[in-house]
Amino acid sequence: MEFLVVTLMFIVFLQTRIMDLKRGIFCLSIQSALIAAACLAVGMSHGGGIHAFLPGMLTIAVKVIFIPYAILKVVRQLSDEKEIASDINVNYSTAAAACFLALSYVVLDSLLPGVQGRDIVASSIFMIMTGLTLIVMRSRAIMQMIGLITMENGIYLLGLIMTEGLPLIIELGIFLDVLIAVVILVILTSRLRLSFKTTDTNVLRKLKG
Amino acid sequence: MMMNIFFMAAACYVIGIFTLLLPHRWQKAAHYTACLAAMTGSALVTYNAALVLLDLLQPAAVHWGSYSLACDKWSAAFLLLTGCAGIITSIYALGYALSYLGKRLRLLGALWNLFLGSMVFVVLAGDAFSFLLFWEIMAVASFLLVNHEAEKRVTWNAAYQYLVMTHIGTAAIMIAFLLTGTYSASFAFADMADNTLSAGMGSIVFMAAFIGFALKAGLVPLHVWLPNAHPAAPSHVSALMSGVMLKIALYGFGRFVFYFLPAWNYWWCIIVMLAGLISAFLGVLYAQMETDIKRILAYSSVENMGIIFAAFGCGMLLQVTAGGSWGTIGFMAALVHCYNHSVIKVLMFMSAGSIMHATGSKNLELFGGLLRKLPYTAACCFAGCMALSALPFTGGFIGEWMTLQSFITLAYNGYGQDIRLWCSLAFILLGFTGALALGCFVRFFGIAFLGRARSQIAEQAHESDAFMLFAMGISTVLIFVLGIYSAPLLTVLSGVLAVDTAFYMPGIADVLQSGGELLQAYGAVLVLVLAVTAVCFAVAVSMAKKAYVASDVTWNCGTIPTARQQYSATGFSKPLRRAFDYLLKPKREVSYVRKDNPYFGRLLSYKLEIPDMITQKLYLPLQKYFVVSSAFLRRLQQGSVRLYVSYVMAAMIAVLIWGAIYK
Repeated sequence: MEFLVVTLMFIVFLQTRIMDLKRGIFCLSIQSALIAAACLAVGMSHGGGIHAFLPGMLTIAVKVIFIPYAILKVVRQLSDEKEIASDINVNYSTAAAACFLALSYVVLDSLLPGVQGRDIVASSIFMIMTGLTLIVMRSRAIMQMIGLITMENGIYLLGLIMTEGLPLIIELGIFLDVLIAVVILVILTSRLRLSFKTTDTNVLRKLKG
Repeated sequence: MMMNIFFMAAACYVIGIFTLLLPHRWQKAAHYTACLAAMTGSALVTYNAALVLLDLLQPAAVHWGSYSLACDKWSAAFLLLTGCAGIITSIYALGYALSYLGKRLRLLGALWNLFLGSMVFVVLAGDAFSFLLFWEIMAVASFLLVNHEAEKRVTWNAAYQYLVMTHIGTAAIMIAFLLTGTYSASFAFADMADNTLSAGMGSIVFMAAFIGFALKAGLVPLHVWLPNAHPAAPSHVSALMSGVMLKIALYGFGRFVFYFLPAWNYWWCIIVMLAGLISAFLGVLYAQMETDIKRILAYSSVENMGIIFAAFGCGMLLQVTAGGSWGTIGFMAALVHCYNHSVIKVLMFMSAGSIMHATGSKNLELFGGLLRKLPYTAACCFAGCMALSALPFTGGFIGEWMTLQSFITLAYNGYGQDIRLWCSLAFILLGFTGALALGCFVRFFGIAFLGRARSQIAEQAHESDAFMLFAMGISTVLIFVLGIYSAPLLTVLSGVLAVDTAFYMPGIADVLQSGGELLQAYGAVLVLVLAVTAVCFAVAVSMAKKAYVASDVTWNCGTIPTARQQYSATGFSKPLRRAFDYLLKPKREVSYVRKDNPYFGRLLSYKLEIPDMITQKLYLPLQKYFVVSSAFLRRLQQGSVRLYVSYVMAAMIAVLIWGAIYK
């Protein structure tokens, strides 16, 4: 488990450095796969059964396969595949991620000292923060979607470790939520491309009151 | 039992409101139905309020859960006033509102009923929530009525200014009610009377209530909406707003002062008194400067509400410093002047409406010689002008006489040297007010009705129809009745204060006719002086007929006098403008349009503007500050989604850190 978490953190760090859209999606897929593995591991430790495997399997189906595939399909239609015009340097987002990693450990030790699975909780807070950082610091819609999924993964991981498995119906609901969010975002992104010939969200600033 | 009549009145008003649903081609029928419904409702309210005031009915509250309607004598006094004014103005509306035929006439009738009904129920409300509900309905209904001629930019500017101001007032009143209610068992007025407010909290409640009600009453510096809203509204609406709505503010203020805040502070009394005195003085000073007849009347309302509040503050001060039941005279003065001013202002706005109806204008500079064209209106308006100048034998005189009497009583019986100082200030300001009011209404009547016509519209003026003249006639008669035989009203009103507030001064009704020499209004000397004056006048007139036989024009330097040689309204008030230059700060702009030679062939353009000082010094800087601070806030609202997400993120981090530090 610890091994998984450390790998996950490295992957998220890598996520902050990637500017190429396709590589970003690939990275996201790996990140989700790690979450799925963690999910399966928790399920195994609580003793098998359909309830132990189903969430993990669903994670693989939705987050590892379907979502990256859907985003990739949009990316193929785009001509400018890179986050070229990022006005904020990549190094800033990595530095911010590092700060958040330290912050999450400090906050956690202060809030819940001696909690079981300290690294996992810390990494989930770290993922939520980094996801938000990606949304704020990237201007491409695709990259912001990746940030959203990263955040979502963090929240899922936190729920997994804190409650040791949610009721099945709620898990299904969460997956449906994510699925619909991604479908809508994909549609919006291709609309954005059709209207503005770019997926840069900076063009949306004209909608000012 | 007793509430049933009020509910019947409410039913009448509701019928009036539902005339809105009649089809457009029946708009005249809708109009008459609405006015008759309003009249019937007001008559029922008057009847029932009179019964309560005369102790013929015992008030019994009606409850629905925690909401209630109740009627004590303090309410009944204002219900009587609302009812009387409602009847008179509804009769007037029968004729006057017909000029809005085809211009949302049905809406006017419906809103008229809504406005009257809401005022009745504000006064009847027995708990804070009902009070605020009806107070808001009243505000919105009057806003819509002010906004009736919404095609004109001036109108909706005035209406929106009124809406903003009145909501600031409501916010203050709400604070007062909520604070009082928090320290009481419930929000019913009966429970709120037994509140446990501390002295400090009491002061806050008092200030909030005073600000809220003073705004509705139009006291300086919260009066800015009033001179704009009154000219914008249809005349009968202005009459009702000025005659009744401003008094409802006194009702609410009295409710707080008498019932919820029994322990008065010395400084509260001073604040109320000073606000009243300053409003009275500044109100009449600005009234003198205006040339729009309805603005003159609006500023005159500021003046009279100022006098009412000054008398009220004087009563409070008497109660605090002299003790006993001395305060009664001040409160009586306030209440009596409320009645008189209501009748007078209703009459004056109706007269102004008649003039506007006859000429289509409200600019005093365009009138002149209307006396010959509108003789009945002129007679009524003359009575109103007399009353507003507080001349004897009119209602206005009684109120102002009692106000002065209460200040004399304060100077005589109040304890402490500072009281003498305040009183001398009060006498100076009230003296100025009286003199300026006289000048103001001499100008009003003289410029509008005497002399020669100054424009085409004044020459083509025509007299109003029977309904309007009838309503004005009733008011005129009332003014003289209240001025000459006011003992019954005083007896009834002294009952209001004696029963509800435990202040009692025996023989208040005797004050005017036969009472102690000190307080007597129509003393032997006065009547003698008046009789001598009248005789001299009669002799002079009869002699004058013989003296001025020749009708030829002399000393006119070879020219025939024209209308342009008359005193203009602006010219009449010029000496005052010079005298009070430091207060009014008039802006004069003189420029030559054409100047062929140094001494002749010149064409001058002269512009005179008197900006409202309070607006310039208080409201405009405030407005500027708000605009600047919103420009700063705009930087936070950049329209960038990423920026908004980063706010969320910052908040989340802040919460996490905060939680970690103060877990």
